[in-house]
Amino acid sequence: MQYQPSDYLPIIVQLIAAIGFIVATMIATHSLGPKRNTKLKNEVFECGIESVGDARTPISVKYFLVAILFVLFDVEVIFMYPWAVNFIHWVNTSAAVAKEMFLEMLVFMALLLTGFVYVIKKGILHWEK
Amino acid sequence: MNSIIALSLFGIANLFLGFLNNRKILLPATLAFVLVALGLNLADWNQEYLWFNNMLRTNNLSVNFASVILVATFLVVAVSRGFGDDEEHTHPAEYYAIMLFSVVGAIMMVTFENLIMLFVGLEILSVSMYILTGTDKRNLRSNEAALKYFLMGAFATGILLFGIALIYGATGSFNIHGIEALVLTAAGGSAPALLYIGIVMVIIGLLFKVSAAPFHFWTPDVYEGAPAIFTAFMSTVVKTAGFAALFRLLGGAFTGVYGTWIYILYFLTMLTLIIGNITAVYQQSFKRMLAYSSISHAGYLMLTATAKVAHTQSSILFYSLAYSVATISAFAVLMVVAETKESNAEKTNENFDIFNGLAKNNPLLAFVLTVSMLSLAGIPLTAGFWGKFFIFSDAFQRGIVVPLVVAVLMSAVGIYYYFKAIISAYFKEGDVPAIELKPIYKITLIVTTLLTIVLGIAPDLVKSIF
Amino acid sequence: MSLVTLIPLFPLIGFLINGIGFRHVPKSLVGIIGSAAALASFACALSLFIGFSGQPEVTHLFDWITVGKLNISMSFQIDQLSLLMLLIITGVGSLIHIYSVGYMHHDEGFGKFFAFLNLFLFFMLLLVLGSNFVVMFIGWEGVGLCSYLLIGFWNKNSNYGNAARKAFIMNRIGDLGFLLGIFLIINHFGSVEFADVFGKIAEGDYESGDKTLLYITLLLFVGAMGKSAQIPLYTWLPDAMAGPTPVSALIHAATMVTAGIYMIIRANIMYSLSPETLEIVGWVGAATAVLAASIGLFQNDIKKVLAYSTVSQLGYMFMGLGVMAYSSSFFHVMTHAFFKALLFLGAGSVIHAMSDEQDIRFMGGLRKKLPVTFITFLIATIAISGIPPFAGFFSKDEILAHVYEHNKLMWVVALAGSVMTSFYMFRLLFLTFFGEFRGTHEQEHHLHESPITMTLPLMLLAVLSAIGGFFNLPHIFNGHASLAEFMSPLFAHTHSTAHEADASTEIMLMVISVAAALIAAAFAYFLYIIKKSVPAADGQESGLKKVIYNKYYVDELYDKIFVTPITVLSNFFHSVIEFLVIDLIVEGIGKGVKILSGEARLLQNGTTGYYIFAMVISIAVILAWSLRAFLF
Repeated sequence: MQYQPSDYLPIIVQLIAAIGFIVATMIATHSLGPKRNTKLKNEVFECGIESVGDARTPISVKYFLVAILFVLFDVEVIFMYPWAVNFIHWVNTSAAVAKEMFLEMLVFMALLLTGFVYVIKKGILHWEK
Repeated sequence: MNSIIALSLFGIANLFLGFLNNRKILLPATLAFVLVALGLNLADWNQEYLWFNNMLRTNNLSVNFASVILVATFLVVAVSRGFGDDEEHTHPAEYYAIMLFSVVGAIMMVTFENLIMLFVGLEILSVSMYILTGTDKRNLRSNEAALKYFLMGAFATGILLFGIALIYGATGSFNIHGIEALVLTAAGGSAPALLYIGIVMVIIGLLFKVSAAPFHFWTPDVYEGAPAIFTAFMSTVVKTAGFAALFRLLGGAFTGVYGTWIYILYFLTMLTLIIGNITAVYQQSFKRMLAYSSISHAGYLMLTATAKVAHTQSSILFYSLAYSVATISAFAVLMVVAETKESNAEKTNENFDIFNGLAKNNPLLAFVLTVSMLSLAGIPLTAGFWGKFFIFSDAFQRGIVVPLVVAVLMSAVGIYYYFKAIISAYFKEGDVPAIELKPIYKITLIVTTLLTIVLGIAPDLVKSIF
Repeated sequence: MSLVTLIPLFPLIGFLINGIGFRHVPKSLVGIIGSAAALASFACALSLFIGFSGQPEVTHLFDWITVGKLNISMSFQIDQLSLLMLLIITGVGSLIHIYSVGYMHHDEGFGKFFAFLNLFLFFMLLLVLGSNFVVMFIGWEGVGLCSYLLIGFWNKNSNYGNAARKAFIMNRIGDLGFLLGIFLIINHFGSVEFADVFGKIAEGDYESGDKTLLYITLLLFVGAMGKSAQIPLYTWLPDAMAGPTPVSALIHAATMVTAGIYMIIRANIMYSLSPETLEIVGWVGAATAVLAASIGLFQNDIKKVLAYSTVSQLGYMFMGLGVMAYSSSFFHVMTHAFFKALLFLGAGSVIHAMSDEQDIRFMGGLRKKLPVTFITFLIATIAISGIPPFAGFFSKDEILAHVYEHNKLMWVVALAGSVMTSFYMFRLLFLTFFGEFRGTHEQEHHLHESPITMTLPLMLLAVLSAIGGFFNLPHIFNGHASLAEFMSPLFAHTHSTAHEADASTEIMLMVISVAAALIAAAFAYFLYIIKKSVPAADGQESGLKKVIYNKYYVDELYDKIFVTPITVLSNFFHSVIEFLVIDLIVEGIGKGVKILSGEARLLQNGTTGYYIFAMVISIAVILAWSLRAFLF
């Protein structure tokens, strides 16, 4: 278990190699390739439509809310995968542990559902009020 | 430990109470919740338990710290007045719920036995604080403060987490008692460098939370931007929890490599004291002054947190209590005065001069302000004096002379800016109309003031318990 | 709550009621509350006295200051000395309270007066009850404060205010000595409790003439000099007559000024072990006795005469202490309390009748108009002059006898003082009560005997002045010297070198002093009754008389030596040092901090990127420092 700082040397070597490769390629392409600057070429390319105004326009907060709620519930549901895998194992070996695990998952689900109820009651999922 | 579970459930309950369309019941309900939590917390007195597979540990020390936190929370909730009547822009149910959740985090920081729990507690507390800082949505400063706090807090959390990872790498354990043993053996021989880096990084992460220099930069901006009530909450609860965690690590897990961090802490203590006190002198804004004052109080507390001696824990606790009570009453006075001025369509800035002439029509408020300022300045017959006294005498007994001298000099500087508020209230010309106080508000103010005075006369009432 | 705690508690309650309720408590109630407080204390003291077992009892109230090993507790001690003092203070105090009800009746500060009077009683009781030097010091300072408040009671007259300040400052000089003495005791003995300190000395480890004890006793004596108005700190007492007459009677005659004597008797075991101090005490007392008496010879203000007489009598008491005649000195304290309080109250009665006239040159022939006052005043005069069988005779002769045994020269000085005392007292009596009335018609018309509340205390005190001597009737008159007997446990561990005079010497001394007093009285009779001479008006005196009339110019001397240079120096400090040095340093530091603060403030520039940059730099530095062992 005792690592010396020198044991990390391979990591540093790899890091240097990775960064070095990128930097080297960029420099190489930049200096090797021919350059012809015209006004048209320097313009921002945007799918053929002419670029108008600022790219940073305000977006409705609903997008973020829904996105965050999605991430939240998504991540919490992911927790059930490792749980399920372990659950099978314990169901086969010890009923007592499996029972406790099941109860704990019920609590977890209850909390999740409470959150869901709160979200709905708060009206966050209504797109238009 | 049931207090954590209870508080979590109470927080959820609060969220749903918000649907009742009756804002009036939230305040008493939350007060009751906090009281119940306090009762559950006290039920752990004189019992040493490990909880949740050695994740948390309760003992008298943790009960004491948690009690101070809960008392501070209770007082803050009591002076919150239900967050006004603005139906559309305030969400009291959520505020109270988040406050309760953050207290869960704070108690976890007090009781952690496992560094992961320290991290989780710290995050619960911090994220709640980021939200509460930005609750004044229409105020640009509040938004700015929340974002700043979040950015810098995330940075500090990263440092802390990195430190925990390095410690795990060096010792193979998250359990602080396991770490303590390994650190002790490591200290004798050749410990790997990452252990030291890890320890220093964890300490830095916590120092950020208690706003010690040079990690204090967020404090003035955030304190000023956040609504006063949450600033009060932040400067009391967060600080107490942070110091509890710091104290448990320094006094326990990290004692073995004392030599690594003690000089850093001495130096940072002095730096914190000097920056906090000196910068406070120039401030025009009362709230910003309190922010710097909170930095300087962090300095005084660090003076004790560097101790290896067990009995200093009572000094830290006493100081935290004295400081919390005084700070809450100062913020409470600031809030009502600023609000009254605002409702009179005056320009409010939360500067010292809003207290001008306060004593004329509001003798009670002026007195409360005076007592809290005296206590913060450490004038005898207030709790703050004894807090400082205990801390200084502890430091003296351990022979920490240079930081002690700096601390004493800086507490003299402190008198200058604390007295500015008193001078404004009593000697400056100005007009503050008589303010009608709600009974609960008045009672809370009287209680905090009396507590400050009673502890100033008989500090042993509480000190002997700690 | 024990009886001991009640004693000071009653006056304190009285003070609180009358003080806080000043102008709200009805006038009729004020006097009753004030007097009742004093009487209740007296009752408690009396019942303690009756039930006293003979052993000192310490009542511990609470620990007051605990610093390191030093523990100063708030505790009271009851023993022979404090009991007697309690009785004198509360007894005479009660009478004076009752007297004040009549005397101060027309004053608008009636309630304030009683509040202060009760506060004074409280502090005085604390002084004598304290079981350690610190509690005693609290009382000591407290009575000083009350004395200041009461001298300047009529605060609209700035002269009175100046007199109050003078008293306060002179007392402070003494108090500083006392305080230093206490510090030395703490330093040397590690305790301030009487029982500990005196117990350690009683173990016999201290030689006579021990240096530490010498310094302690000298410093304590400086305190006593201030409070008991001895040379050179006596000039405040005559000026203190600016206060209302009952105050002069209570504070500046009967109780407070004897605090110095109380302290020395309390610490007698120390004093007996430092003969040098005792010698100084004795001679200071003798000098004060004769000097003050000589000034008293030509004073024309009735209260000033009594004031100098008080200073002189205090000198006698110190003389007694100086020759280790502690119980005799205390006996004199007691009798003096009776007759001097009586004299002051009588003078007050006269002043009351004369519509606030105090100059005896404008009195005369009052004995017909004020019979009670006259008779009581006469008794007091006989008593103070040392003519048997009244109180003063016994106590003064005891002191004189001891002084004679100790030092013949001192005895001659004392006798001279005693002759003068007799002369000026009879001069006062004759000029006031005999002959023709010399005041205005209006005053003559107004003359009246005082009300019963004033005359009753006079009569009671007169009885005490007459028979007070029998409390300690010496053995040669078949007495039992019961006071000395009672007090003897206090001196159990004192190594006394004083030896008793034999009976024939004692009788001879008595005869001499009585004869001298009678001759002086007769001389006064000749001058003021037969020749009917009246003292000259101000500015008409000449020669030695003028010098004495102007109190030997001591005040002017002090003014030249102390006050003027200090004023000059303080002006210098005010205009030069404060401006150039203090202000520069103080304001310089303040300005410096402010400038620094203005600079430090700029660190906080609001940019998150900068903040994080600063944090990163700090973290890097900290890490580099903590890893220096690995890096370098």
